[in-house]
Amino acid sequence: MGRYVIRRLLQALLTLGLVLFLMHWLMALSVQVRGNPARLFFGDRTPNAAALAQVEAMYNLDDSCYDRIGDPCVMPFVERLQAYAAGDFGTTLRGNRDVGELLAISIPNTLRLFAFSIITLVVLAMVFGSWAARHRGRLQDHAVRGGTILVDSVPVFLIMLIYTSLIAVPLTRWVRGIFGDEAAIGQLFRPTYDVDYPWMTIIIPGLLLGTAGLASMTRLVRASQLENYHADFVRTAHAKGLSRSRVARVHIVRNSLIPVVTAIGYNFAFILTGAVVTEGIVQIPGMGQLLWNALLTTEVSIVITSFVIIAVVVLAVNLLVDLLYAVLDPRIRYA
Amino acid sequence: MPDSAETLPDTVPGVLKTEDAPQASLWKDAFHRMVRRVDVLIAALLILAAVAMALFPTLFTDADPRSCSGRLAKQRPETWFTGDHPLGTDAFGCDFAAKLVYGTRPTLLLAVTVILISVLIGLVMGILSGYYGGWTDAVISRALEVFMVVPFLLGALLLLALFRGRSSSEDLIPSVAPAALALSVFGWMEFARYVRAATIETRNLDYVAAARCLGAKDRRIMFRHIMPNAIVPVTAIVPTTVGGIIVTESVLAVLGLGIRPPATSWGILLAEGTGWAAGGYLYLLAWPMAFLLITVFAFATFGDALRDALDPKLR
Repeated sequence: MGRYVIRRLLQALLTLGLVLFLMHWLMALSVQVRGNPARLFFGDRTPNAAALAQVEAMYNLDDSCYDRIGDPCVMPFVERLQAYAAGDFGTTLRGNRDVGELLAISIPNTLRLFAFSIITLVVLAMVFGSWAARHRGRLQDHAVRGGTILVDSVPVFLIMLIYTSLIAVPLTRWVRGIFGDEAAIGQLFRPTYDVDYPWMTIIIPGLLLGTAGLASMTRLVRASQLENYHADFVRTAHAKGLSRSRVARVHIVRNSLIPVVTAIGYNFAFILTGAVVTEGIVQIPGMGQLLWNALLTTEVSIVITSFVIIAVVVLAVNLLVDLLYAVLDPRIRYA
Repeated sequence: MPDSAETLPDTVPGVLKTEDAPQASLWKDAFHRMVRRVDVLIAALLILAAVAMALFPTLFTDADPRSCSGRLAKQRPETWFTGDHPLGTDAFGCDFAAKLVYGTRPTLLLAVTVILISVLIGLVMGILSGYYGGWTDAVISRALEVFMVVPFLLGALLLLALFRGRSSSEDLIPSVAPAALALSVFGWMEFARYVRAATIETRNLDYVAAARCLGAKDRRIMFRHIMPNAIVPVTAIVPTTVGGIIVTESVLAVLGLGIRPPATSWGILLAEGTGWAAGGYLYLLAWPMAFLLITVFAFATFGDALRDALDPKLR
């Protein structure tokens, strides 16, 4: 087990290094092709050469490799790595703000959105998947299948757009009509995020985001439960006189959790994407919104740092998933 | 020489004559199973309708989506499917039905391009890494992981945002190409993974060993003997992925990075429609949404059935 974990960690580190380098190279290429983003510092004014050179130096964009198209800019890359190691994530071109600080403010918001959506996804998939498995081949099964595919074909951003532009306002009016203007529950259906109610206004976007990927998850739960219904160990458990609920809980549900755990790992990146879109539409000041604005304005430091964070999270989740396997499935042991 | 002893009787119990026996093939079985399902037939019809709209837009509308006049702007579709503007006009006075119909071609062209490029890259990468193993596998698997770590849409966003140009062209290909390329770069990994797994499974089978004994070269073994097996799991996920690509394009369109104007796509119409929907022009949002949803739903249903039909475990 220990050796396996170390090998996986080293692999993840290598991947992370490659992602970092790829990001850096893309950024360098973008600077080489489109011109130096240090010009952003001056807004609409045209800077003189000396001032531009000074600003370029300030943001480490003065290396001559940024003038040669295709140059991977190795020296700035090494400098960037050193800065990361020292905990310095750079500053933004506009406003000169510390990227680390910006991220520290926005990540908790994204995490809260995430928590709601993952819980929604797992609960819905478990409930519908088990229901479909128990009624295999009958109307309920087909209804669950068709329903989840239908929900899944509505893209997340569309659900969000429809919700915020058409449904949220009448709902808010209706709820406030019942509970009064001041009640916290009146904030539940606000079309946009509100800093004063950081939990209330994030619930509904989180729930809606959780419907992304529902079809594949439900199908997985259904398939794995069906497999376990007819497994030998379930028959044995019944034969030795265990109660129905215990068999269902310990033998069927626990064993069918394994593919679900994997799927959450693989869907993680997918849900992350949804979070970016959601944050943009509902105006949650999270990492997604930060990244999106940074992409539009070519804020190099923010983009690279955000993608690195995403890479770290995805890699960590995948590692965790593989380790959870061993916990959930007694047949799997890592040597 | 007397031949009476040598000829076999016409019917040997337990032995089928190979030339008469119907050859059971995975594809034929899958086809027969698909045809018997009503939902699959409806989905196939809807997909065909969308394809027809992309190929022959003039069959569906007489109006030109480019001839717009401000006088006619935002006419609600009160005449319902008749009159000059069966679905009303948009904010610039263009015929909305024509815009929808002509928006089909870029939408589908993008999806088809992305899927072709991704499947091609995925097949080659997957077969190479699965067949050779060792260093080739290590390098390709690492590349796979690097690309997997960056989510599909975010990767495409990154590329499009970093390298977006400001030129716009009347031709269809330059307006579709940037989005198509960006989506392909981050779309091939799933195919490569499936192909790699199938290749590793097939590589050591007896018939492959037999081919090698007969002196078949690596390339022949890979593309004649292993590929037909590896292509099954890929085919099973293609329709669902096409639906996913159409959705992703619409997200890019809402963010202003998808197919470039003047070419329209359902995503672009959707993005424009959301602004007007709350102001009482719901149809500008509802129609592109309906087109998008029905097409994606059809692809998803078709893909779901195809995956089941091609799954050897369920045969």
